[in-house]
Amino acid sequence: MDLIERIDEWARAAPEHLAHVSRERTLTYGELARRSAALAAWLLRALPDDRAPIAVQGHKEPEMLIAFLGAVKAGHPYIPIDVTTPPARVERIVATARAPLTLTPARVAAIVAEAGDAAPDPVHRVAANDPFYIIFTSGSTGEPKGVVITLACLTSFLDWMLAEQRLVEQRETFLNQAPFSFDLSVMDTYLSLATGGTLFSIDKDDIANPAQLYRALTHSNATVWVSTPSFAQMCLVEKTFSAAMLPRVRRFLFCGETLAPEVAAALLDRFPDAQVWNTYGPTETTVATTSVRIDGETLTRYRPLPVGYAKPDSRVVVLDEDGRVAVNGERGEIVIAGPNVSPGYISRPDLTAKAFFTLYGMPAYHTGDWGYFQNGLLFYEGRRDQQVKLHGHRIELGDVEANLQALPGVRDGVVLVKMKDGAPDSLAAFVILNDHSADSEFEISRALKNRMAERLPVYMIPRKFHFLSAFPMTANGKADRKKLAEMLA
Amino acid sequence: MSATVQNQAIAPKVLDVLEQITGTDQVRRDLDLALFEQNILDSLGLVELIVALSDAFGVEIFPAEIERSEWATPRQIIASVEKRVRV
Repeated sequence: MDLIERIDEWARAAPEHLAHVSRERTLTYGELARRSAALAAWLLRALPDDRAPIAVQGHKEPEMLIAFLGAVKAGHPYIPIDVTTPPARVERIVATARAPLTLTPARVAAIVAEAGDAAPDPVHRVAANDPFYIIFTSGSTGEPKGVVITLACLTSFLDWMLAEQRLVEQRETFLNQAPFSFDLSVMDTYLSLATGGTLFSIDKDDIANPAQLYRALTHSNATVWVSTPSFAQMCLVEKTFSAAMLPRVRRFLFCGETLAPEVAAALLDRFPDAQVWNTYGPTETTVATTSVRIDGETLTRYRPLPVGYAKPDSRVVVLDEDGRVAVNGERGEIVIAGPNVSPGYISRPDLTAKAFFTLYGMPAYHTGDWGYFQNGLLFYEGRRDQQVKLHGHRIELGDVEANLQALPGVRDGVVLVKMKDGAPDSLAAFVILNDHSADSEFEISRALKNRMAERLPVYMIPRKFHFLSAFPMTANGKADRKKLAEMLA
Repeated sequence: MSATVQNQAIAPKVLDVLEQITGTDQVRRDLDLALFEQNILDSLGLVELIVALSDAFGVEIFPAEIERSEWATPRQIIASVEKRVRV
Protein backbone atom coordinates (compact mmCIF):
# COMPACT_ATOMS: atom_id res chain seq x y z
CA MET A 1 0.00 0.00 0.00
CA ASP A 2 1.52 3.32 -0.99
CA LEU A 3 1.15 6.58 0.92
CA ILE A 4 -1.97 7.76 -0.90
CA GLU A 5 -3.67 4.38 -0.54
CA ARG A 6 -2.79 4.44 3.12
CA ILE A 7 -4.38 7.86 3.64
CA ASP A 8 -7.50 6.78 1.73
CA GLU A 9 -7.61 3.64 3.85
CA TRP A 10 -7.80 5.79 6.99
CA ALA A 11 -10.65 7.66 5.31
CA ARG A 12 -12.52 4.39 4.83
CA ALA A 13 -11.76 3.11 8.34
CA ALA A 14 -12.51 6.33 10.22
CA PRO A 15 -14.05 8.96 7.91
CA GLU A 16 -15.00 11.29 10.76
CA HIS A 17 -11.56 11.31 12.37
CA LEU A 18 -9.88 14.72 12.12
CA ALA A 19 -7.05 14.88 9.61
CA HIS A 20 -6.33 18.60 10.01
CA VAL A 21 -7.15 21.40 12.42
CA SER A 22 -6.28 24.95 11.53
CA ARG A 23 -7.70 27.85 13.51
CA GLU A 24 -11.41 27.17 13.80
CA ARG A 25 -11.45 24.97 10.71
CA THR A 26 -11.36 21.20 10.63
CA LEU A 27 -10.99 18.60 7.91
CA THR A 28 -11.91 14.95 8.42
CA TYR A 29 -10.24 12.03 6.66
CA GLY A 30 -13.45 11.42 4.76
CA GLU A 31 -13.56 15.01 3.54
CA LEU A 32 -9.88 14.96 2.63
CA ALA A 33 -10.23 11.79 0.56
CA ARG A 34 -13.44 12.87 -1.18
CA ARG A 35 -12.39 16.44 -1.90
CA SER A 36 -8.88 15.58 -3.08
CA ALA A 37 -10.37 12.97 -5.44
CA ALA A 38 -12.82 15.58 -6.76
CA LEU A 39 -9.96 18.01 -7.34
CA ALA A 40 -7.94 15.26 -9.05
CA ALA A 41 -10.86 14.55 -11.38
CA TRP A 42 -11.10 18.25 -12.22
CA LEU A 43 -7.35 18.46 -12.88
CA LEU A 44 -7.49 15.44 -15.17
CA ARG A 45 -10.20 17.17 -17.20
CA ALA A 46 -8.64 20.64 -17.13
CA LEU A 47 -4.99 19.88 -17.83
CA PRO A 48 -3.11 17.77 -20.34
CA ASP A 49 -1.78 14.52 -18.93
CA ASP A 50 1.82 15.75 -18.91
CA ARG A 51 2.53 15.50 -15.18
CA ALA A 52 3.50 19.16 -15.03
CA PRO A 53 3.84 20.48 -11.48
CA ILE A 54 0.94 22.34 -9.90
CA ALA A 55 1.78 25.38 -7.76
CA VAL A 56 -0.27 25.64 -4.56
CA GLN A 57 -0.10 28.98 -2.79
CA GLY A 58 -1.64 29.51 0.60
CA HIS A 59 -0.81 29.14 4.25
CA LYS A 60 -2.31 26.64 6.69
CA GLU A 61 -5.78 26.24 5.22
CA PRO A 62 -7.30 22.72 4.98
CA GLU A 63 -7.49 23.30 1.22
CA MET A 64 -3.70 23.12 1.10
CA LEU A 65 -3.81 19.43 2.03
CA ILE A 66 -6.70 18.85 -0.38
CA ALA A 67 -4.64 20.49 -3.15
CA PHE A 68 -1.49 18.47 -2.37
CA LEU A 69 -3.30 15.15 -2.45
CA GLY A 70 -5.55 16.21 -5.33
CA ALA A 71 -2.50 17.03 -7.45
CA VAL A 72 -0.70 13.74 -6.78
CA LYS A 73 -3.90 11.75 -7.31
CA ALA A 74 -4.01 13.30 -10.79
CA GLY A 75 -0.37 12.41 -11.43
CA HIS A 76 1.02 15.92 -10.89
CA PRO A 77 3.63 16.86 -8.30
CA TYR A 78 2.80 19.96 -6.26
CA ILE A 79 4.87 23.01 -5.40
CA PRO A 80 3.93 24.42 -1.98
CA ILE A 81 4.34 28.19 -1.86
CA ASP A 82 3.61 30.16 1.28
CA VAL A 83 1.24 33.10 1.07
CA THR A 84 3.98 35.39 2.40
CA THR A 85 6.19 34.77 -0.66
CA PRO A 86 6.63 37.99 -2.66
CA PRO A 87 4.80 37.90 -6.01
CA ALA A 88 7.99 38.38 -8.01
CA ARG A 89 9.49 35.30 -6.41
CA VAL A 90 6.32 33.29 -6.99
CA GLU A 91 6.54 34.25 -10.67
CA ARG A 92 10.11 33.01 -10.88
CA ILE A 93 9.18 29.73 -9.19
CA VAL A 94 6.22 29.16 -11.50
CA ALA A 95 8.33 30.04 -14.55
CA THR A 96 11.23 27.81 -13.52
CA ALA A 97 8.93 24.86 -12.85
CA ARG A 98 6.76 25.60 -15.90
CA ALA A 99 3.71 25.13 -13.70
CA PRO A 100 0.54 25.54 -15.79
CA LEU A 101 -1.67 26.32 -12.80
CA THR A 102 -1.44 27.97 -9.39
CA LEU A 103 -4.12 26.81 -6.99
CA THR A 104 -5.17 28.91 -3.99
CA PRO A 105 -7.37 27.78 -1.10
CA ALA A 106 -10.29 29.78 -2.52
CA ARG A 107 -9.90 28.19 -5.95
CA VAL A 108 -9.67 24.70 -4.45
CA ALA A 109 -12.79 25.35 -2.36
CA ALA A 110 -14.69 26.53 -5.45
CA ILE A 111 -13.64 23.53 -7.56
CA VAL A 112 -14.56 21.08 -4.82
CA ALA A 113 -17.90 22.81 -4.15
CA GLU A 114 -18.77 22.60 -7.83
CA ALA A 115 -18.02 18.88 -7.89
CA GLY A 116 -20.49 18.35 -5.04
CA ASP A 117 -20.97 14.79 -3.88
CA ALA A 118 -20.70 13.31 -7.35
CA ALA A 119 -18.58 10.18 -7.56
CA PRO A 120 -15.09 11.25 -8.57
CA ASP A 121 -13.43 10.08 -11.74
CA PRO A 122 -10.85 7.32 -11.48
CA VAL A 123 -7.59 8.74 -10.19
CA HIS A 124 -4.27 8.62 -11.98
CA ARG A 125 -1.73 8.83 -9.21
CA VAL A 126 1.97 9.47 -9.15
CA ALA A 127 4.04 6.28 -9.29
CA ALA A 128 7.00 5.50 -7.04
CA ASN A 129 9.62 7.19 -9.17
CA ASP A 130 7.45 10.13 -10.19
CA PRO A 131 7.94 13.53 -8.56
CA PHE A 132 5.62 13.92 -5.54
CA TYR A 133 6.47 17.47 -4.47
CA ILE A 134 8.92 20.16 -5.48
CA ILE A 135 10.15 22.52 -2.80
CA PHE A 136 11.94 25.69 -3.78
CA THR A 137 14.87 26.82 -1.71
CA SER A 138 17.05 29.87 -2.07
CA GLY A 139 20.02 29.40 -4.35
CA SER A 140 23.42 30.88 -3.80
CA THR A 141 22.96 33.08 -6.84
CA GLY A 142 19.64 34.43 -5.59
CA GLU A 143 17.52 32.37 -8.00
CA PRO A 144 15.28 29.92 -6.16
CA LYS A 145 15.92 26.31 -7.08
CA GLY A 146 13.31 23.58 -7.00
CA VAL A 147 14.21 20.32 -5.27
CA VAL A 148 12.30 17.40 -6.80
CA ILE A 149 11.23 14.73 -4.31
CA THR A 150 9.72 11.52 -5.65
CA LEU A 151 7.20 9.30 -3.92
CA ALA A 152 10.02 6.78 -3.44
CA CYS A 153 12.15 9.43 -1.65
CA LEU A 154 9.25 10.34 0.60
CA THR A 155 8.41 6.70 1.29
CA SER A 156 12.01 5.99 2.27
CA PHE A 157 11.93 8.87 4.76
CA LEU A 158 8.52 7.98 6.17
CA ASP A 159 9.18 4.26 6.55
CA TRP A 160 12.30 5.04 8.57
CA MET A 161 10.60 7.58 10.83
CA LEU A 162 7.57 5.35 11.37
CA ALA A 163 9.76 2.43 12.39
CA GLU A 164 11.89 4.56 14.69
CA GLN A 165 9.32 6.75 16.36
CA ARG A 166 6.79 4.04 17.23
CA LEU A 167 3.79 6.27 16.77
CA VAL A 168 0.37 5.05 17.86
CA GLU A 169 -2.02 4.86 14.92
CA GLN A 170 -5.04 7.18 15.10
CA ARG A 171 -3.95 8.47 18.48
CA GLU A 172 -1.34 11.11 17.72
CA THR A 173 -1.78 14.83 17.21
CA PHE A 174 1.15 16.46 15.42
CA LEU A 175 2.04 20.09 15.88
CA ASN A 176 2.65 21.73 12.51
CA GLN A 177 4.69 24.90 12.96
CA ALA A 178 6.60 25.20 9.69
CA PRO A 179 4.90 26.59 6.60
CA PHE A 180 4.13 23.93 3.99
CA SER A 181 6.76 25.51 1.73
CA PHE A 182 9.44 24.40 4.20
CA ASP A 183 10.17 20.68 4.05
CA LEU A 184 10.17 20.35 7.83
CA SER A 185 6.37 20.39 7.45
CA VAL A 186 6.61 17.17 5.42
CA MET A 187 7.66 15.45 8.64
CA ASP A 188 4.54 16.39 10.61
CA THR A 189 2.10 16.34 7.69
CA TYR A 190 2.85 12.91 6.29
CA LEU A 191 3.74 11.18 9.55
CA SER A 192 0.33 12.31 10.71
CA LEU A 193 -1.58 11.31 7.57
CA ALA A 194 0.25 7.98 7.30
CA THR A 195 -0.73 7.03 10.85
CA GLY A 196 -4.29 8.32 10.78
CA GLY A 197 -3.30 11.12 13.14
CA THR A 198 -4.44 14.71 13.41
CA LEU A 199 -2.33 17.58 12.12
CA PHE A 200 -2.70 20.73 14.23
CA SER A 201 -1.43 23.81 12.43
CA ILE A 202 -0.08 26.90 14.12
CA ASP A 203 -0.34 29.76 11.65
CA LYS A 204 1.61 32.97 11.16
CA ASP A 205 -0.94 35.06 13.08
CA ASP A 206 -0.63 32.73 16.07
CA ILE A 207 3.14 33.09 15.99
CA ALA A 208 2.84 36.89 15.75
CA ASN A 209 0.70 37.18 18.88
CA PRO A 210 2.12 35.62 22.07
CA ALA A 211 -1.17 35.23 23.96
CA GLN A 212 -2.80 33.70 20.89
CA LEU A 213 0.13 31.36 20.34
CA TYR A 214 0.03 29.94 23.85
CA ARG A 215 -3.76 29.64 23.68
CA ALA A 216 -3.40 27.69 20.45
CA LEU A 217 -0.73 25.45 21.96
CA THR A 218 -2.89 24.83 25.01
CA HIS A 219 -5.78 23.78 22.80
CA SER A 220 -3.67 21.71 20.42
CA ASN A 221 -3.60 18.52 22.52
CA ALA A 222 -0.36 17.82 20.65
CA THR A 223 1.38 14.52 21.32
CA VAL A 224 4.20 15.00 18.79
CA TRP A 225 5.88 18.39 18.58
CA VAL A 226 7.61 19.10 15.25
CA SER A 227 9.38 22.45 14.89
CA THR A 228 12.65 24.24 14.41
CA PRO A 229 14.72 24.60 17.57
CA SER A 230 14.31 28.40 17.29
CA PHE A 231 10.55 28.10 17.65
CA ALA A 232 10.85 25.94 20.74
CA GLN A 233 13.40 28.36 22.15
CA MET A 234 10.95 31.22 21.67
CA CYS A 235 8.19 29.24 23.38
CA LEU A 236 10.47 28.49 26.33
CA VAL A 237 10.60 32.21 27.22
CA GLU A 238 7.15 31.69 28.70
CA LYS A 239 7.59 30.01 32.04
CA THR A 240 4.25 28.21 31.88
CA PHE A 241 5.32 26.50 28.64
CA SER A 242 5.61 23.05 30.18
CA ALA A 243 3.86 19.72 30.62
CA ALA A 244 1.10 21.63 32.41
CA MET A 245 0.34 23.47 29.16
CA LEU A 246 0.88 20.49 26.85
CA PRO A 247 0.27 17.42 29.02
CA ARG A 248 0.07 14.92 26.15
CA VAL A 249 3.36 15.75 24.42
CA ARG A 250 5.59 12.68 24.28
CA ARG A 251 8.01 13.64 21.53
CA PHE A 252 9.82 16.73 20.34
CA LEU A 253 11.20 16.25 16.83
CA PHE A 254 13.63 18.91 15.65
CA CYS A 255 15.11 19.59 12.26
CA GLY A 256 16.20 22.53 10.15
CA GLU A 257 18.97 24.03 12.26
CA THR A 258 21.32 23.38 15.15
CA LEU A 259 19.67 22.24 18.36
CA ALA A 260 21.29 24.07 21.27
CA PRO A 261 21.96 21.81 24.29
CA GLU A 262 20.26 24.34 26.56
CA VAL A 263 17.04 24.16 24.56
CA ALA A 264 17.05 20.35 24.76
CA ALA A 265 17.86 20.47 28.48
CA ALA A 266 15.07 22.95 29.21
CA LEU A 267 12.56 20.80 27.33
CA LEU A 268 13.60 17.64 29.15
CA ASP A 269 13.25 19.53 32.42
CA ARG A 270 9.83 21.01 31.67
CA PHE A 271 8.45 17.94 29.88
CA PRO A 272 9.75 15.03 31.94
CA ASP A 273 7.60 12.46 30.11
CA ALA A 274 8.69 13.53 26.63
CA GLN A 275 11.56 12.44 24.39
CA VAL A 276 13.66 14.98 22.51
CA TRP A 277 14.98 13.99 19.08
CA ASN A 278 17.46 15.83 16.91
CA THR A 279 17.39 15.12 13.19
CA TYR A 280 19.42 16.39 10.28
CA GLY A 281 19.22 16.53 6.52
CA PRO A 282 18.94 18.99 3.66
CA THR A 283 15.80 19.37 1.55
CA GLU A 284 17.62 17.49 -1.23
CA THR A 285 17.62 14.28 0.82
CA THR A 286 13.96 14.48 1.93
CA VAL A 287 13.58 16.26 5.25
CA ALA A 288 16.03 14.27 7.39
CA THR A 289 18.53 11.44 7.01
CA THR A 290 19.98 11.15 10.51
CA SER A 291 18.42 11.18 13.95
CA VAL A 292 19.31 10.70 17.58
CA ARG A 293 17.42 10.84 20.83
CA ILE A 294 18.82 13.54 23.10
CA ASP A 295 18.64 12.33 26.68
CA GLY A 296 20.46 13.35 29.84
CA GLU A 297 23.47 11.21 29.01
CA THR A 298 23.83 12.65 25.49
CA LEU A 299 23.57 16.14 26.95
CA THR A 300 26.30 15.43 29.46
CA ARG A 301 28.57 13.75 26.97
CA TYR A 302 28.41 15.91 23.84
CA ARG A 303 28.77 19.61 23.16
CA PRO A 304 27.68 20.45 20.50
CA LEU A 305 24.88 17.93 20.28
CA PRO A 306 25.13 15.20 17.63
CA VAL A 307 22.69 15.20 14.72
CA GLY A 308 22.42 11.44 14.75
CA TYR A 309 22.85 8.10 13.06
CA ALA A 310 22.04 7.52 9.40
CA LYS A 311 18.76 5.87 8.51
CA PRO A 312 19.31 2.18 7.68
CA ASP A 313 18.85 2.30 3.89
CA SER A 314 21.13 5.32 3.43
CA ARG A 315 24.84 5.96 3.72
CA VAL A 316 26.19 9.14 5.25
CA VAL A 317 29.90 9.78 4.88
CA VAL A 318 32.26 12.64 5.53
CA LEU A 319 34.66 13.35 2.68
CA ASP A 320 37.95 15.16 3.19
CA GLU A 321 39.33 17.78 0.80
CA ASP A 322 40.68 15.07 -1.48
CA GLY A 323 37.32 13.30 -1.68
CA ARG A 324 38.40 10.42 0.56
CA VAL A 325 36.22 9.13 3.35
CA ALA A 326 37.41 10.90 6.49
CA VAL A 327 38.48 8.95 9.53
CA ASN A 328 36.62 9.14 12.83
CA GLY A 329 36.78 12.67 14.21
CA GLU A 330 38.17 14.16 11.00
CA ARG A 331 36.26 17.06 9.57
CA GLY A 332 34.96 17.14 6.02
CA GLU A 333 31.95 17.59 3.81
CA ILE A 334 28.87 15.54 4.65
CA VAL A 335 27.70 13.44 1.71
CA ILE A 336 24.41 11.55 1.73
CA ALA A 337 23.60 8.56 -0.48
CA GLY A 338 20.38 6.58 -0.54
CA PRO A 339 16.87 6.17 -1.89
CA ASN A 340 15.85 9.41 -0.18
CA VAL A 341 18.18 11.51 -2.36
CA SER A 342 16.39 13.79 -4.82
CA PRO A 343 16.84 13.25 -8.58
CA GLY A 344 17.87 16.92 -8.76
CA TYR A 345 16.70 20.48 -9.32
CA ILE A 346 13.86 21.11 -11.74
CA SER A 347 14.94 22.76 -14.99
CA ARG A 348 18.49 23.17 -13.69
CA PRO A 349 20.66 20.34 -15.05
CA ASP A 350 23.73 22.52 -14.39
CA LEU A 351 23.07 22.78 -10.65
CA THR A 352 22.00 19.13 -10.52
CA ALA A 353 25.25 17.97 -12.12
CA LYS A 354 27.29 19.95 -9.59
CA ALA A 355 25.59 18.66 -6.47
CA PHE A 356 24.38 15.15 -7.31
CA PHE A 357 26.39 12.07 -8.19
CA THR A 358 26.47 8.31 -7.57
CA LEU A 359 28.04 6.69 -4.53
CA TYR A 360 27.86 3.04 -3.47
CA GLY A 361 25.56 2.54 -6.45
CA MET A 362 23.00 4.95 -4.99
CA PRO A 363 22.07 8.52 -5.82
CA ALA A 364 24.17 10.84 -3.66
CA TYR A 365 24.25 14.52 -2.75
CA HIS A 366 27.04 16.89 -1.74
CA THR A 367 25.41 18.72 1.17
CA GLY A 368 27.90 21.56 1.40
CA ASP A 369 27.75 21.02 5.16
CA TRP A 370 30.81 20.45 7.30
CA GLY A 371 30.72 17.63 9.77
CA TYR A 372 32.53 14.79 11.43
CA PHE A 373 31.78 11.42 12.97
CA GLN A 374 32.44 10.53 16.58
CA ASN A 375 31.42 7.15 18.01
CA GLY A 376 29.29 6.54 14.94
CA LEU A 377 27.37 9.76 15.51
CA LEU A 378 27.34 12.56 12.97
CA PHE A 379 28.09 16.11 14.13
CA TYR A 380 27.25 19.17 12.05
CA GLU A 381 29.74 22.01 11.89
CA GLY A 382 28.25 24.65 9.64
CA ARG A 383 28.14 25.46 5.96
CA ARG A 384 30.95 25.21 3.48
CA ASP A 385 29.72 28.20 1.58
CA GLN A 386 29.88 30.71 4.42
CA GLN A 387 33.53 31.05 3.77
CA VAL A 388 34.71 34.64 3.90
CA LYS A 389 37.95 36.46 3.27
CA LEU A 390 38.75 39.05 5.88
CA HIS A 391 41.86 41.12 5.44
CA GLY A 392 43.35 38.23 3.50
CA HIS A 393 42.44 35.56 6.01
CA ARG A 394 40.19 32.73 4.88
CA ILE A 395 37.51 32.18 7.52
CA GLU A 396 34.57 29.81 7.76
CA LEU A 397 31.84 31.59 9.68
CA GLY A 398 30.49 28.16 10.67
CA ASP A 399 33.77 27.43 12.33
CA VAL A 400 33.65 30.64 14.41
CA GLU A 401 30.02 29.97 15.27
CA ALA A 402 30.70 26.40 16.37
CA ASN A 403 33.42 27.63 18.69
CA LEU A 404 31.24 30.41 20.03
CA GLN A 405 28.28 28.08 20.55
CA ALA A 406 30.48 25.64 22.42
CA LEU A 407 31.37 28.20 25.11
CA PRO A 408 29.80 27.75 28.53
CA GLY A 409 26.97 30.21 29.08
CA VAL A 410 26.27 30.62 25.37
CA ARG A 411 22.92 29.23 24.28
CA ASP A 412 23.27 30.14 20.63
CA GLY A 413 25.41 32.32 18.42
CA VAL A 414 25.45 33.63 14.87
CA VAL A 415 28.53 35.25 13.36
CA LEU A 416 28.36 37.64 10.42
CA VAL A 417 30.75 39.88 8.55
CA LYS A 418 30.35 43.59 9.16
CA MET A 419 30.89 45.59 5.99
CA LYS A 420 32.45 49.03 5.78
CA ASP A 421 32.56 51.02 2.57
CA GLY A 422 31.53 47.92 0.66
CA ALA A 423 34.30 45.70 1.98
CA PRO A 424 34.39 43.15 4.79
CA ASP A 425 35.57 44.98 7.91
CA SER A 426 35.26 42.71 10.91
CA LEU A 427 33.33 39.84 12.40
CA ALA A 428 30.30 40.52 14.54
CA ALA A 429 28.63 37.98 16.81
CA PHE A 430 25.02 37.78 17.88
CA VAL A 431 24.74 35.85 21.09
CA ILE A 432 21.95 34.41 23.19
CA LEU A 433 23.19 33.75 26.72
CA ASN A 434 21.79 31.04 28.95
CA ASP A 435 21.24 33.29 31.92
CA HIS A 436 21.03 36.95 32.57
CA SER A 437 24.37 38.06 33.92
CA ALA A 438 24.98 40.80 36.43
CA ASP A 439 28.05 41.80 34.39
CA SER A 440 27.88 44.56 31.84
CA GLU A 441 27.79 43.66 28.14
CA PHE A 442 31.30 45.03 27.88
CA GLU A 443 32.50 42.62 30.55
CA ILE A 444 30.67 39.64 29.03
CA SER A 445 32.09 40.45 25.58
CA ARG A 446 35.58 40.61 27.01
CA ALA A 447 35.20 37.24 28.70
CA LEU A 448 33.84 35.62 25.53
CA LYS A 449 36.71 37.04 23.46
CA ASN A 450 39.22 35.64 25.89
CA ARG A 451 37.58 32.21 25.78
CA MET A 452 37.41 32.19 21.99
CA ALA A 453 41.06 33.22 21.79
CA GLU A 454 41.77 29.91 23.44
CA ARG A 455 40.29 28.09 20.48
CA LEU A 456 40.84 30.30 17.45
CA PRO A 457 43.48 32.53 15.85
CA VAL A 458 42.96 36.16 16.76
CA TYR A 459 41.70 37.16 13.31
CA MET A 460 38.75 34.80 13.82
CA ILE A 461 37.57 36.52 17.01
CA PRO A 462 34.49 38.72 16.52
CA ARG A 463 35.14 42.35 17.26
CA LYS A 464 31.66 43.20 18.45
CA PHE A 465 29.17 41.12 20.40
CA HIS A 466 25.47 41.86 20.32
CA PHE A 467 23.33 40.20 22.97
CA LEU A 468 19.79 39.11 22.20
CA SER A 469 17.22 37.04 24.05
CA ALA A 470 16.09 35.44 20.78
CA PHE A 471 17.04 35.63 17.12
CA PRO A 472 14.72 37.01 14.47
CA MET A 473 13.42 34.07 12.49
CA THR A 474 12.80 33.48 8.82
CA ALA A 475 9.39 32.39 7.63
CA ASN A 476 10.77 28.88 7.93
CA GLY A 477 11.64 29.35 11.58
CA LYS A 478 15.38 29.52 11.20
CA ALA A 479 17.59 32.23 12.63
CA ASP A 480 17.26 35.05 10.11
CA ARG A 481 20.83 35.96 9.15
CA LYS A 482 19.62 38.62 6.76
CA LYS A 483 17.77 40.47 9.50
CA LEU A 484 20.75 40.11 11.80
CA ALA A 485 22.95 41.58 9.07
CA GLU A 486 20.55 44.50 8.75
CA MET A 487 21.00 45.12 12.46
CA LEU A 488 24.71 45.60 11.77
CA ALA A 489 24.15 48.16 9.03
CA MET B 1 6.50 58.62 45.30
CA SER B 2 3.35 59.95 43.68
CA ALA B 3 1.83 58.09 40.78
CA THR B 4 2.67 60.94 38.42
CA VAL B 5 6.36 61.01 39.34
CA GLN B 6 6.49 57.22 39.12
CA ASN B 7 4.88 57.23 35.67
CA GLN B 8 7.31 59.87 34.51
CA ALA B 9 10.12 57.55 35.51
CA ILE B 10 8.63 54.55 33.76
CA ALA B 11 8.09 56.00 30.30
CA PRO B 12 11.70 57.01 29.55
CA LYS B 13 12.95 53.64 30.74
CA VAL B 14 10.43 51.77 28.55
CA LEU B 15 11.47 53.92 25.60
CA ASP B 16 15.14 53.22 26.32
CA VAL B 17 14.47 49.49 26.15
CA LEU B 18 12.24 49.82 23.11
CA GLU B 19 14.85 51.85 21.26
CA GLN B 20 17.49 49.27 22.12
CA ILE B 21 15.37 46.40 20.81
CA THR B 22 14.10 48.12 17.68
CA GLY B 23 17.31 50.00 16.95
CA THR B 24 15.43 53.18 16.10
CA ASP B 25 14.77 56.35 18.06
CA GLN B 26 11.62 56.83 16.06
CA VAL B 27 9.87 55.07 18.93
CA ARG B 28 10.54 58.15 21.09
CA ARG B 29 9.44 60.67 18.53
CA ASP B 30 6.15 59.01 17.67
CA LEU B 31 4.40 57.34 20.58
CA ASP B 32 1.62 56.14 18.28
CA LEU B 33 3.99 54.45 15.86
CA ALA B 34 2.45 51.19 14.59
CA LEU B 35 5.34 48.94 15.52
CA PHE B 36 4.16 45.76 13.80
CA GLU B 37 2.54 47.30 10.76
CA GLN B 38 5.70 49.29 10.13
CA ASN B 39 7.81 46.14 10.52
CA ILE B 40 9.71 47.72 13.39
CA LEU B 41 8.88 44.88 15.71
CA ASP B 42 8.18 41.25 14.83
CA SER B 43 7.11 38.26 16.88
CA LEU B 44 10.60 37.50 18.09
CA GLY B 45 11.29 41.18 18.76
CA LEU B 46 8.17 41.28 20.89
CA VAL B 47 9.35 38.32 22.94
CA GLU B 48 12.75 39.97 23.29
CA LEU B 49 11.07 43.20 24.40
CA ILE B 50 9.03 41.33 27.00
CA VAL B 51 12.18 39.77 28.44
CA ALA B 52 14.08 43.08 28.42
CA LEU B 53 11.23 44.99 30.12
CA SER B 54 10.87 42.25 32.73
CA ASP B 55 14.56 42.64 33.52
CA ALA B 56 14.54 46.44 33.45
CA PHE B 57 11.61 46.79 35.86
CA GLY B 58 12.12 43.67 37.92
CA VAL B 59 8.58 42.50 37.24
CA GLU B 60 7.47 39.25 35.70
CA ILE B 61 5.73 39.75 32.37
CA PHE B 62 4.36 36.52 30.93
CA PRO B 63 4.35 36.32 27.11
CA ALA B 64 1.19 34.22 27.36
CA GLU B 65 -0.60 37.28 28.77
CA ILE B 66 0.46 39.61 25.97
CA GLU B 67 -2.14 40.44 23.35
CA ARG B 68 -0.30 42.00 20.48
CA SER B 69 -3.13 44.44 19.85
CA GLU B 70 -2.44 45.91 23.30
CA TRP B 71 1.29 46.22 22.61
CA ALA B 72 1.09 47.73 19.15
CA THR B 73 2.49 51.24 19.84
CA PRO B 74 5.06 52.76 22.22
CA ARG B 75 2.22 54.49 24.10
CA GLN B 76 0.38 51.20 24.61
CA ILE B 77 3.55 49.48 25.78
CA ILE B 78 4.25 52.24 28.31
CA ALA B 79 0.69 51.97 29.62
CA SER B 80 0.98 48.20 29.85
CA VAL B 81 4.24 48.36 31.81
CA GLU B 82 2.88 51.09 34.10
CA LYS B 83 -0.08 48.88 34.91
CA ARG B 84 2.21 45.98 35.81
CA VAL B 85 4.69 48.05 37.79
CA ARG B 86 1.92 49.64 39.84
CA VAL B 87 0.36 46.31 40.77
